[in-house]
Amino acid sequence: MTRTLLHALRGLGLGVTRPETHASRRIPLIGRGPFRFATEHNPPDISGRATLRTLTVAAMALPGLAQSPLSQAAPGDTVTLQYGHYKQSSWQLYDGLKSQYNPLQVDNIQANGGLTLEDRWKFAFNYVQDTWSGATPVASAPQALGGNNPTAAGASPLISGNGSMLYDKSLTPFALNEETGDYVADRRLVQTVASASPEIRNQGDFRLGYEWDEAAINLGGGVSQEPDYNSAFGSLNGRMDFNQKLTSLNAGLSYNNSDISATINPLYSPYVNKSFYADKGQIQVYPNAGGGTTEILTGNRQDWATHLTVAQVINKDLLLDSGIGFIRSTGYLGNPYKAVDMVFVDTSGAPIIDAGSGMPALWAPTVAPVIERRPEERDQGTWDIRLVQYIDVLDASLHGGYRFYIDGWGITAHTFDLDWVQPIEEWTITPRFRYYSQESADFYQPYFLFNSAAPTNAGGQFNLAGVPLAAYSSDWRLSAYGAISTGLTVARPIGKALAFEAGFEYYTHAGDLRMGGAGLGAWADMDYYQFNAALKVDLSAASSAGLSADDPHAHHHGAVDHRQSHLGMTAPAGILFNHMLEKEGDTMVGVRYAYSLQQGGMMRGAGSASDAEIVANGCEGIVQCTYAPQKMDMNMVMVDLMYAPTDWLTLMLMPQFMSMDMHLRRLEGAPPPTTEDIHASHGGNPAHSSGGVGDIVMAGMFKFFEAPGHKLHGTLGFTAPTGSVNQRVNGNSEFEHYGMQLGGGTWNIWPSVSYNGYTGDFNWGGQLNAIVPLENHNDSGFAFGTMFQSTAWGGYQIQDWLSGSLRALYTYQDSIAGRYPQPFVPTGPMDTPQSYGGQFLDIGFGLNAMVQSGDFEGNHFGLEWLQPAYNDYNGYQLERTGTLWASWGLAF
Amino acid sequence: MIPISKAPAKPARLMGAMPRRLIMVLLMMSGLPLLSGCAPVQPWERGNLAKPHMALQPFPLQAAFREHIYGARESASGGSASSGGGGCGCY
Repeated sequence: MTRTLLHALRGLGLGVTRPETHASRRIPLIGRGPFRFATEHNPPDISGRATLRTLTVAAMALPGLAQSPLSQAAPGDTVTLQYGHYKQSSWQLYDGLKSQYNPLQVDNIQANGGLTLEDRWKFAFNYVQDTWSGATPVASAPQALGGNNPTAAGASPLISGNGSMLYDKSLTPFALNEETGDYVADRRLVQTVASASPEIRNQGDFRLGYEWDEAAINLGGGVSQEPDYNSAFGSLNGRMDFNQKLTSLNAGLSYNNSDISATINPLYSPYVNKSFYADKGQIQVYPNAGGGTTEILTGNRQDWATHLTVAQVINKDLLLDSGIGFIRSTGYLGNPYKAVDMVFVDTSGAPIIDAGSGMPALWAPTVAPVIERRPEERDQGTWDIRLVQYIDVLDASLHGGYRFYIDGWGITAHTFDLDWVQPIEEWTITPRFRYYSQESADFYQPYFLFNSAAPTNAGGQFNLAGVPLAAYSSDWRLSAYGAISTGLTVARPIGKALAFEAGFEYYTHAGDLRMGGAGLGAWADMDYYQFNAALKVDLSAASSAGLSADDPHAHHHGAVDHRQSHLGMTAPAGILFNHMLEKEGDTMVGVRYAYSLQQGGMMRGAGSASDAEIVANGCEGIVQCTYAPQKMDMNMVMVDLMYAPTDWLTLMLMPQFMSMDMHLRRLEGAPPPTTEDIHASHGGNPAHSSGGVGDIVMAGMFKFFEAPGHKLHGTLGFTAPTGSVNQRVNGNSEFEHYGMQLGGGTWNIWPSVSYNGYTGDFNWGGQLNAIVPLENHNDSGFAFGTMFQSTAWGGYQIQDWLSGSLRALYTYQDSIAGRYPQPFVPTGPMDTPQSYGGQFLDIGFGLNAMVQSGDFEGNHFGLEWLQPAYNDYNGYQLERTGTLWASWGLAF
Repeated sequence: MIPISKAPAKPARLMGAMPRRLIMVLLMMSGLPLLSGCAPVQPWERGNLAKPHMALQPFPLQAAFREHIYGARESASGGSASSGGGGCGCY
C-alpha cells in the first residue's frame, strides 16, 4: 500500500510548479503499479489471479499497449499543500555594529494539484505565495565610508558615507579614528545594509496536457504579481518516447514578459544618482501628499527559454537524463534597489592632509552613489546531466547531477548534487549534498574606484555620463564565490490517502568556497537555512466516510443514513468546528479560505465619521491623527486536519496562513508631516503588506447527543501564538498597525457548541462560540479583545449534490487591551486600541456541493458570502464590505 | 585591493562569445549519441526503475521551493527565465 501510494504521488509530475525543471521531467518508459508487482523481490504467488495479473502486466508493457504513466487516471490525481520558510544570517558588520534590521526571511505557501480531466487530458494548477522581509544589501563599500552608521531617521543607510574616508597615494582607504583624530589604513569592505517593509508575491499557473501512447504535449501559462514586479508567462512542452520506451526526448519553449515598477526608497533617493534611467525616460515622478515626490523606476524585460533533454534507460538499474538549455533575456535586467558607490580619488591634486606624524599624504575622494546598471541583454547556456542508480543491496537509489552554466555577462558556474534516497519501512530518508561555484560578472565590483577626478557637468555637478562604464553592479550575487549545502528530506505515508514530506537545508555561501578558491572576501559571506513541510492528498483514495459504494455502512442504511452521517458538512463554509468525523479511525483533510475586505469611508458607532473628527479624536488625544485606512483586505488560508481516535472524539489541527494589505490616505486637515513621518516619505498613497504563518488552532470535538435528524457536539479549542505580533514598517522603525499583525500573540481558549439537524430536503443548525485570550498582553504589549459569536442557519437541498444556505451571524468583540510600548506614536485610528471591535450582524448566503460519484467522489466544496447588515464600531474604523469563505474537504 | 576600473565592461553577447563549435560540443554532450548505445531492457526487467525513489525527481514540490531560493541567491540558477514565473527575487 505504501509503495502504491508513493508511486501514485510520483505521478504528481503534473502538479509541479515549473514546467521545465527537472521536477517535471519524467521518465515515461517505466511500468506502473501492477508491473512492479511482478518484478519485485516478492515473487508472484501461484494463484490464478496473480498469474493473470503477471500476464496482463507483460502485455501492458509491450510497446503501444503500455499506458504512459501520466495517462493512468485516478491515482495521479492529487492535491499538495506545502509551507516553506527561509531565513538568512545577519550580514557581517564590523566595529561591533550589529545590523539594526532583522535578517532576510521568506515565508512560502504553495498549493497545487494534478487532475485527470478526461482519459488523456490532464490539468495541473499551482498557487504560490511568498512573503519576504528583512535586511538586504543596497551596495557595498569600504568600512571607512561608514555606510552602516546609524542615522537620525534610523531607517536609511548612508549610501554616500559620512565624509570621513580618505585615500593615500596607493589608493588604500583610511578611516578616521575618532578617539585619536588620526587616520588609519582600513582595507575592510562591508555591505551597506538597508531594509524594507514586508512584501508579498502571488503566483498562479496552470498546465494542460494531452497524452498519446508514446508522446505528450503540454501547454502552460501563468502570472506572478508583486507590488513592483508583474510577469506573465507561457510555455509549450513536448515529449516523445522511442526505442520501446527506453528513450524519451523532451523539448520545450517558454516566454516570460515582466514589468518592473519599483518605488525608489525616498530615504535614500536624494543621495543616489538616477540620471542614466531618468535620461532614458524610465523614471516617473509623482507628487506625494507629504509635499515631496515619489519616484518610480520602470522597465520591461522579456525572457525566451528553450531546452532539449534526453532520458535514457542504460540498464535495469541505471537511468540517465541529460539536456541543454538556452535562455535569452532582453530589456531592463537590473535590480532597481541596488546601487553602486563610485569613488573618485584625484591624487594628482593637492592632498587634504600632508604626510607627517606617521601618516602618509591623504586625499579626500568624491563619492557618487549611482543606481546599478546592467547590460540590456543576456544570453545563457546550460548543459546538465543526471544519473540515477539503483542500489540493490539497500533498495536505495543514488542520484547524482552536474550542471554547467555560461552566460554573456562573463559568469560561468558549476553545480554538483548528490542525493541518497533510502526507503526504510514506511519512511523514505534522503540526505542531500550540493556544491555550487560561480565566476563573477564582468561588470561586478564591490565598489568602483577611479584614480581621477569625478567627471562633472558645466554646473560642477557629478556627471554620470562622463564615467566610461557601460555596466556596473555591486550586487554580491554577481560576484565570484562558492556555496555548499547539505540537507535532509523525510517522507512517509499517513493512512490510506495522505503522505507527509518535510525537508531541511543549511546553505553556506563564501568567497573561499569558489572552485579554485579566493573569490570575493569573507565580508560578503552568508549562511541560510530553509525548511519545508508538505501534505499530499490522493484524491482517488477517499471512501468519504460512509459514502463509498464499497462501504457496507452505506449499503445497509441507505440514503437517509447518508444524510445523517454528513450532517454538518453541508453547513455554511464560514462556520468552523461544525461537524465531527463519524467513526473511529476516520480522517479528513480540508482547506478553508477567507477573503475579507474593508473599503470606503470611516465609521464611528453606527454612523460615519468626518476627517476633522478623526484628526482631533482618532488618536486618543495623544496626537492629532494624520492618516486613515481607505482599503484593507485580508487573506486567510486554514488547513483543516481532522482525526477521530474514537467515535465520540474528533481531534483537529488547523495551521493558518495570513496575508494582509492596507492602503492609507492622508486625512483632510491633518497636521503637516514631520521628517520622521514614515508614511509621508512613502508617497501619496502609502500601502503596507504583511504575511506569513498565523496562529495554530488545536481543538477536541466531543459528541454530546445524536438522534435521527439531530446532532449536538461541543468543541474545546485553543489557539497557540505562532503568528508574529512583531511585524514592522520600514525596517524595524515602527510597529505595523494592530490589525496587520499575523497573530494574536496570546494563548486563547476557543470553546463552542454546535447543533445540526435535518428533515426532508431542509437542514438547519446553530453555533455559539467565544475566543477568550488567556493572557493580558502579548510580547508587543497588547491583546485582542474577547470575541463572542452566535449564528443560526437554514438550508435546502436543491439537488442530491447541491444545497443552499442562509444564515445570520452576530459578533461581539471587545476593543484591544494594552498597547504597543513607547515610543510608538499612533498615526491614525488603526494604531489606537480603542478603534478595534464592536457589534456586528452579518447575513450569509452559501452554497455547498458534494461530489457523489466518480474519481472525485466524497470531495465537498463550500462557498459563502457574508454581507454586513448592521454595524456598531468601536472608535473609528473603516467600513466593512464583507467576507468570502470558500472551503474544500475530503474524508477518508 | 580593488582594481581600478576605467575600461568599459566588455560587451555582453553570448552568441559572439560562444562559437558554433561550442554549441556543437554541447549538443554532443547532451547525451543524444547515447540513443543507440544501450542494451535493451525488457519490460519485465524494469521493476527497479519503476520504484518511486528512482524517479528523476522524487520530491518535486520541495525541489521547486529549493530552486526558487537558489534562483534568488545565485546567478546561474536560471531564476525566472527558465521556468516561468518566480517573480523578481529582488531581495
